[in-house]
Amino acid sequence: MNIFEQISDYLNQGDEDKVAELTDRAIAQEIAAKTILDEGLIAGMEIMGAKFKKHEVFLPEVLLAAKAMHAGMTKLKPLLIREGIPAKGKVVLGTVAGDLHDIGKNLVGIMLKGAGYEVIDIGHDAKPQLFIDTAKKEDARVIGMSALLTTTMPMMRKVVELLKEDNPGGKIKTMVGGAPVSKDYAAEIGADAYGYDGANAVQCVEELIAGG
Amino acid sequence: MKDKILIRMGDGERVTLSADEIKEDIRAGTQDAARRGRIPEMTAPEQEQLFEIMADPSRVVGVSPGEEVIVTDDGCSMSFYSGQDGGGVGVPMSRMQAILTYERACGADTTSMGHSDYSYKPVKPIINYEMNEYYNISMMTTAPFFYGAQPNLGLYYRPDGPCPNPAELLPAGKIKEARAAQEEACEHLKKDLVFVGKKLAGVGCEGLNFDTCGSAGDADFLAALLALRELRQEVPQMPIIMGSSGEFVIGMHGEVTFDGRRLAGMYPHEQVKVVEAAGACIYGMAVNTNTSESTAWNLARAVTFCKAAVEAADIPVHVNVGMGVGGVPMMEQPPVDSVSRVSKSLVQIGKADGL
Repeated sequence: MNIFEQISDYLNQGDEDKVAELTDRAIAQEIAAKTILDEGLIAGMEIMGAKFKKHEVFLPEVLLAAKAMHAGMTKLKPLLIREGIPAKGKVVLGTVAGDLHDIGKNLVGIMLKGAGYEVIDIGHDAKPQLFIDTAKKEDARVIGMSALLTTTMPMMRKVVELLKEDNPGGKIKTMVGGAPVSKDYAAEIGADAYGYDGANAVQCVEELIAGG
Repeated sequence: MKDKILIRMGDGERVTLSADEIKEDIRAGTQDAARRGRIPEMTAPEQEQLFEIMADPSRVVGVSPGEEVIVTDDGCSMSFYSGQDGGGVGVPMSRMQAILTYERACGADTTSMGHSDYSYKPVKPIINYEMNEYYNISMMTTAPFFYGAQPNLGLYYRPDGPCPNPAELLPAGKIKEARAAQEEACEHLKKDLVFVGKKLAGVGCEGLNFDTCGSAGDADFLAALLALRELRQEVPQMPIIMGSSGEFVIGMHGEVTFDGRRLAGMYPHEQVKVVEAAGACIYGMAVNTNTSESTAWNLARAVTFCKAAVEAADIPVHVNVGMGVGGVPMMEQPPVDSVSRVSKSLVQIGKADGL
């Protein structure tokens, strides 16, 4: 097993100490940080995501893997910055105004961080304008909105409408999720994506960013 | 055959679909179950049979004489006296009156009683009252009379119980702590299930129902299995039904096992084997209804899971056909057109032993 496969394997076991140790070893072998990231950490998270989809692993295992990913990323981040490798992208996450339920949103945040994205969490009961202002200030590519209540879902539409008026070049994309939210609702309000769970949200963000 | 056939969506909405659309939904539903459970799809003749049941113009359908199955009660008598918010009709009657009405007026095969909260934990402090009530009613009933409630592991987490709350620990990244909390709560729950079961056995309980097991994940399911095994040893004369909360055991813990088998991710044909090994007399299978899909899609899925579970089982499989399960729409008052189609399909095609 080469060092990338070992990193991927220990990441799938959720062993953060081993992932950090192997990342250090790969760095010592003068392997490019981007290569370690792509072929070790991200490759490992992709395996985890596929297993999650097939119900072979569950939330705790995915979260452990995300923590292990974070341990590896902590080692790589200074090198990635020094090598001028751009981050995968920034995502602004929040639970919409009037809604205090943030467990799902927090889990999506962990999964996104695990997949290598920078997450700016604006918390719960977040006003529509705060999503827009934060995304512009942070140069984020995606705004992720969560709601647990049917009564707060209309706030998602509000964010989408505000963004239409203030989104030069359509650079910032929107993603919605939460128990009462559906793909149809996302389409109805004009959101760019609907993430039905944490793993799917990561996939949505990847597609949104790849699609420009 | 009419061009448009009146069926329902999983949320109960009335819709008309063409024969081709219904057939496509049946195909997609059985394929979904087969893919998820890694089990065989319904055969082409079975799909056609299900279509005929869905397309029957009668409002109510039923099985032919000789094909009838036992219907085990799942808190039906509560529907007499509970309010509309609890799916009931709010008639002012006592528990005894409701149970006897259900048995004698509705012709119930089995009857049951339970605490209005329908969880085992709140029964513990009032067990003497429940034992007395059970005993008095059992003196009046003829059909098998069960005591039922749900394990509901969530009641053992803070702020409702003594254990740290995994729903707070998991998003905080405290995975080991979340797992430890579930293991601790599982132990508390198992003790309560055994305590209540033994006390009721002491007044001649004719059967215990562990209903909706696994609703809080795999540790919830495990507690019921462990309690079931212990009760089989302690009070072997008391039959126990163990029913699940969905087609799939959710891995909130992910690693708990029973007899060396990982519980997370088990589908009905696998669930029934551990339920059987723990000593249950009946396995109550549940398949969750998707409110965004048609009843044809949902029922094809339920029948596919049912067929596989019945083939794997060595104990009777009784399928849950209440609101939001088994292909029945998610409505407080499930419509008879859907319930009768679900019942007929599960018995004739899924080969369910009971409902």
